[in-house]
Amino acid sequence: MKRLCFMVVLGVVATALLTGQAIDPAKKYEVTVGAYGDLEKAYKAVIATDDFKKKFPNVTLKFQTSDFGGHHNRLTTVIAAGEQTNDIEALEVGYIAQFVQAGGLTDLNAAPFNAKKLSKDLVKFAVANATTEGGALIAMPVDIAPAVMFYRADLAKTAGLNMDNVANWDAYIAALKKLTDKSKGVFGIEHPAAVSAIPLNGGKGGWFQNNKPLEPKSKFLDALSLVQKVKAANVDGDLGAWSGPWSQAYLDGKIASIVNGAWFGGTLRTWLSPAGADGSSPWRVAYLPGKMMASLGGTYLSIPQTVPGPRKLVAYEILKYLTNSPVAQLTTFKEIDAFPALTTVYNDKVMDEPVAYYGGQKVRKIYADVALNIPENKVSEYDAVIGGIWNGAVNDVVSGKSTPQAAYDSALKKVIATIQ
Amino acid sequence: MATTILAQRKRRMKAQQWAPYVFISPFFILFLVFGVYPIGYSIVSSFYNWKLIGNKAPVFIGFDNYVNVLTIDPFFLSAVVNTVFLLITGSLLQHVIALPLAILLNSRIVRAKELFKTAFFLPYITSTVSVVIIFGNLFDTNFGLINWVLGLFGLPHFRWSGEDLGIKVILSTILNWKFIGWNTVIYLAGLQAIPAEMYEAAEMDGASGFIKHWKITIPQLYPIIFLAVSLSIIGGMQVFEEPFVLTGGYDNMGGSGNSGLTAAFYLMFTAFKAYKIGKGSAIAWLLFITILGLNAINRQATRKYNQ
Repeated sequence: MKRLCFMVVLGVVATALLTGQAIDPAKKYEVTVGAYGDLEKAYKAVIATDDFKKKFPNVTLKFQTSDFGGHHNRLTTVIAAGEQTNDIEALEVGYIAQFVQAGGLTDLNAAPFNAKKLSKDLVKFAVANATTEGGALIAMPVDIAPAVMFYRADLAKTAGLNMDNVANWDAYIAALKKLTDKSKGVFGIEHPAAVSAIPLNGGKGGWFQNNKPLEPKSKFLDALSLVQKVKAANVDGDLGAWSGPWSQAYLDGKIASIVNGAWFGGTLRTWLSPAGADGSSPWRVAYLPGKMMASLGGTYLSIPQTVPGPRKLVAYEILKYLTNSPVAQLTTFKEIDAFPALTTVYNDKVMDEPVAYYGGQKVRKIYADVALNIPENKVSEYDAVIGGIWNGAVNDVVSGKSTPQAAYDSALKKVIATIQ
Repeated sequence: MATTILAQRKRRMKAQQWAPYVFISPFFILFLVFGVYPIGYSIVSSFYNWKLIGNKAPVFIGFDNYVNVLTIDPFFLSAVVNTVFLLITGSLLQHVIALPLAILLNSRIVRAKELFKTAFFLPYITSTVSVVIIFGNLFDTNFGLINWVLGLFGLPHFRWSGEDLGIKVILSTILNWKFIGWNTVIYLAGLQAIPAEMYEAAEMDGASGFIKHWKITIPQLYPIIFLAVSLSIIGGMQVFEEPFVLTGGYDNMGGSGNSGLTAAFYLMFTAFKAYKIGKGSAIAWLLFITILGLNAINRQATRKYNQ
């Protein structure tokens, strides 16, 4: 009898180890999640699904949600101090580079997680951003932001424009000129700086080439020249993003176009330009000029190294579900317009459905196409600092204080001095 | 029996001796933990290459952070220049307005003094973020009141928050608006302490209003002027929230030409955006030395009258 009991226990343990089962059905677990913005709303919707309840009947999630800056400040501070964090911590793409270089987050490619086989279904550029040179995956992308052009169909129609396939940036600026009617307070675009990050693939990484900052030079000069051209065209409203006049201009229908991440659609829908009674709005979506492929944002989920071992295994199961389950990915998309990082859902029928807000346009197909073609950027620990310096160069070009060449030279000098 | 009473009295005396220390100890304990220790630790950390991200151990580098900030760093000196500019136009200019305002408020011709005092003090206790957002709207290129007024005179719209000078004008205006009332109240308190007999004697000697203030009010107020200017220097050299909110946070580093990048702003950027806590600490100590130097100049300038 004793031998039989021993064999049963051994069998259970062996099965658990072989299958990597981290969750004991007989126990109750609480996984803590550090989040920002709307993520809690989205993940609460995920855990309310039947699929989650069926797979994790004994797991509850507890959220610690802060504003964007507060969340990342807390996270960086507690990790640096080696203090206890939440079991899962969300990270915006802008912060991923620093952790890639500096450490502090668990390598998900290492045993017992072995996430490599899972990450193959996630968009490549996002996985590459979170992978160290040694091949460690320090976080898994959960949502991404393919960059697109949003434009107002009513204003485009009045101006006699077809915005669906704008050939290049010059054509876009020409269209903005036609869309702008300053006598009526209508601006083609909110601010010249709004286009500055697009040619840089969002500016999350890509600041170095062969360890030389701001290379290749042509890429950065082109971005500054584009800003200068938009400014010179006199089509912008000089509206600083997220300011009162900026939001009011959108609410009043005075902005004709914007290039931004797919998530901006959620901002338009819920705040800046709510749908009419029929559920539609004048906004439509198109590829970026010249069908440029770029990313403008994204979220990652990580497990800090300070999380105790047994909790890490449970946390990983939840992280895996949120990033690799079609139900979780599509629920998140539906809730907060955060575009899935999981490529297998791009063939889901929901991606082919017309979206009422965009007048029945099948915008998700565009998002998915962009997502699959976003180029990879190499991130570095200096990204945040260089981003700040770069924005200074953009501001100098916008104000007319510097030419693109002078602004580039000044920025390069500052970058070199800063990273020394 | 007498011995017992004596022992009890001794115990009571002893208790009375240490009781005051117990009563004041909460402050000192909190000050040691949250004041002295972090300040002292920041001196230590300023000698380390310490990134406040990840889990790498700090590396001792001696005075390298100080040398870097003073010789190589492309932002620190321009941030100090910006700060001094705002100190003059924002923090010191307000005294030129606050003192006459206090004299006016102290005079017999003004009624409803309490109402004015409250109104002048209100900006000081208003949330800085709200103030900056409202001023940002006032100076907005398209919808701002300032450009609308300029338009009435046929002047073109100015991109206030997009130009180097424009950013400084907005910041100076905010600082003046916010702190003139505070200084007025300080000066008013000082004015009320000047004996009325001095003015009466001057009047009998035939002194005019201006002469009375020039010869009596200003000299009598020197200790107060020293205090108020010292507070302005300390506050002015640490201006952070106003440019941070106005220019869009760390991502823009003070806007066009880094015009709104103050020393405290750059300190915060270095420590909490670039996560270089060692270099940030070095900037903090350099800023402290600068404030100390400016206050020493202020002390020297008012010494003659303070004695």
